Amino acid sequence: MLEWIHPGFIYILAVPIIPLLKGKVKKFFLLSIPILAFVIVLFMSKGILLSEGKTWVLSFWGYQLILGQIDRLSLVFTYVFIIASFCMIFYALHIKEDGQHIAAFLYIGSTLGVTFAGDLLTLFLFWEIMACSALFLIWYRKTKRSFNAGLRYILVHLFGGACLLGGIFLYFKSTGSIEFNKPFMFELAWKSKNFAPYLILLAFLINAAVPPLHAWLPDAYPEATVTGAVFLTAFTTKSAVYVLIRGFAGTELLVWLGAIMALYGVVFAVLENDIRRLLAYHIISQVGYMVCGVGMGVTGTVAGEMAINGAIAHAFCHILYKALLFMGAGAVVEVTGMSKLTELGGLYRFMPITFHLYMIGAYSISGFPLFNGFISKTMVVEASAMWHLPVIWLMLEGASIGTFLHTGLKLPWGTWFSKSEPICQAKEPPQNMLIAMSFTAFLCILLGVYPYILYDLLPYPVRYKPYNLPHLVTMSQLLLFTFVAFWIYRGKLYGESTITLDTDWFYRVIGKKIIWFCEKPLSAFATNLDKKVMETVHFFVWMSRNPMLALKIKIEEMKMKTPFINPSRLKELEFKLIEKKKNYPAGVPKLGLGVTLLLILIFLSFYLLLYLVTL
Amino acid sequence: MKKNSISLKKGFYGILLLSLIVGVFVDIMLKPESHFIWDRLPFFHALYGFFGCIFIILGSKALGHYWLQKKENYYDDDIHSENK
Repeated sequence: MLEWIHPGFIYILAVPIIPLLKGKVKKFFLLSIPILAFVIVLFMSKGILLSEGKTWVLSFWGYQLILGQIDRLSLVFTYVFIIASFCMIFYALHIKEDGQHIAAFLYIGSTLGVTFAGDLLTLFLFWEIMACSALFLIWYRKTKRSFNAGLRYILVHLFGGACLLGGIFLYFKSTGSIEFNKPFMFELAWKSKNFAPYLILLAFLINAAVPPLHAWLPDAYPEATVTGAVFLTAFTTKSAVYVLIRGFAGTELLVWLGAIMALYGVVFAVLENDIRRLLAYHIISQVGYMVCGVGMGVTGTVAGEMAINGAIAHAFCHILYKALLFMGAGAVVEVTGMSKLTELGGLYRFMPITFHLYMIGAYSISGFPLFNGFISKTMVVEASAMWHLPVIWLMLEGASIGTFLHTGLKLPWGTWFSKSEPICQAKEPPQNMLIAMSFTAFLCILLGVYPYILYDLLPYPVRYKPYNLPHLVTMSQLLLFTFVAFWIYRGKLYGESTITLDTDWFYRVIGKKIIWFCEKPLSAFATNLDKKVMETVHFFVWMSRNPMLALKIKIEEMKMKTPFINPSRLKELEFKLIEKKKNYPAGVPKLGLGVTLLLILIFLSFYLLLYLVTL
Repeated sequence: MKKNSISLKKGFYGILLLSLIVGVFVDIMLKPESHFIWDRLPFFHALYGFFGCIFIILGSKALGHYWLQKKENYYDDDIHSENK
């Protein structure tokens, strides 16, 4: 019996089969892959397949490439990736272009490859495959904007990949190993002048969309296809959280970065007009909770274990409810073709089911009791309380307020209500999308009502009870009064036809200026220089045919140019000049090809002789 | 319809009031763990939710109007779009 089967390889190996199938068979096949992967993971949990340890190890120049590093941490992430992939594939079942399915499967498969990677080179390989396959999910929208956004996406991620590779080389040089199972000693890096952790952290932070390196996310995700965006939300950022937990747990820098992220996303979302961009900024906000949790996760402490548990639980729940939110918003885009709040409104009459399913995602992200946000986000906040970090606690709770405001209030109100007459004709989206949304909503509620399904998967024992009365009361107060403030100020929250500048301004504007500089001034300078050099060369070649005569000609020319010259004298000189130039030898007679080769051979053999003699 | 919305409003205010009362009740009777000084204040979460929301709305809008928001075609005169 096999010790283990890599779930990611199931997805990757399915890719060549997808174009060969058609119709119902293809749909059945597409859905069977995540189910098969889920069965594998279940077997792993039950012990039928390996549930802990290192497997699928390849030898590479004396080092070990570990494709299967299995422990509770990688297992819990694998569970959510596979479950979410099932919902998302169902959502995308109606897509006829095989390329989109192939891109999605490669993306999911390589994410699972990252999750089980036990060494840095395997990690790097799958990291790059993730970036490239995600690119196609953006490009398949086939608009000019999505082309440009995809280009920016891949440039940022290739930069991140280069940082990662550089960091891996530095790490290997200083420690001699490529293993990826211990935290990188981030705080000691400065003292020991070993910059590998910095580079690797930089690469991880880019994928986790930590400001100021985050601009690729709200830039690219709204430009992706309706179904592609749903895939994108789950895998890149959460696999980055996973690798942060493995490599940088307890790094204090992450606590602050995470809290700032949480608020950053919320502030920018107030200003957003495009519904999917608003949700993209909320991804940044929620990942901030996870990053903050990772930062607080000092191993060996009770509060640290709570923080790591919270980060993982939040990642688990976030994948599900964010997918649901993007599915809902994507359904609106699919049906109306529009995504801006200024252009939407009054759709409740046509799409009530989509609205209610979307709202389940909104209740979850806001942390309403009975939905899955309440059991996960609050764990991270509790960890910040246990560590006695008041500023962090305030920032995280503040971000909760903002999250409810936009996702639960501003977006649905602007899309489904806020106008008495609907903006356009609409209807409910296709069946498969509704079914996918319903199933995801069911999972959100299931985890909210019975959190122990998730808590039992977490790596550390869970000492947290979300459903206690004080907690319920404080959360309800927070949410209710946020609603009151929203209702009073709802006039200020209409969409505006603007875009908001973000840190991508730097590479978009400065990049454009650099390109302009290269195309115009620099290019002109180069051509000019080239011309002048060639003119000088031609002059010397001409002069070399008969230097004395050339000198005479030049002197005559100079004489002609002297001021106050007699016109007849001028004519005389001109005549002499023409005579001289006629007598000037023409170009050197060109040798035939054979003679030239012979000359070359003679010179080369002469050189060879010289070399042998002096040896 | 109007009667409906009035009773809806009344119901909502009722829930608001209830959350505050239950909050005070829980604070006095159950004495939950307080990690921070503000845990002792009775209506902290309600006030934080209300004023926090207002602050986020007004603050972010100010940030946008005075600095970050631009017309939709801000980035659109790309050299790239001209070439391609």
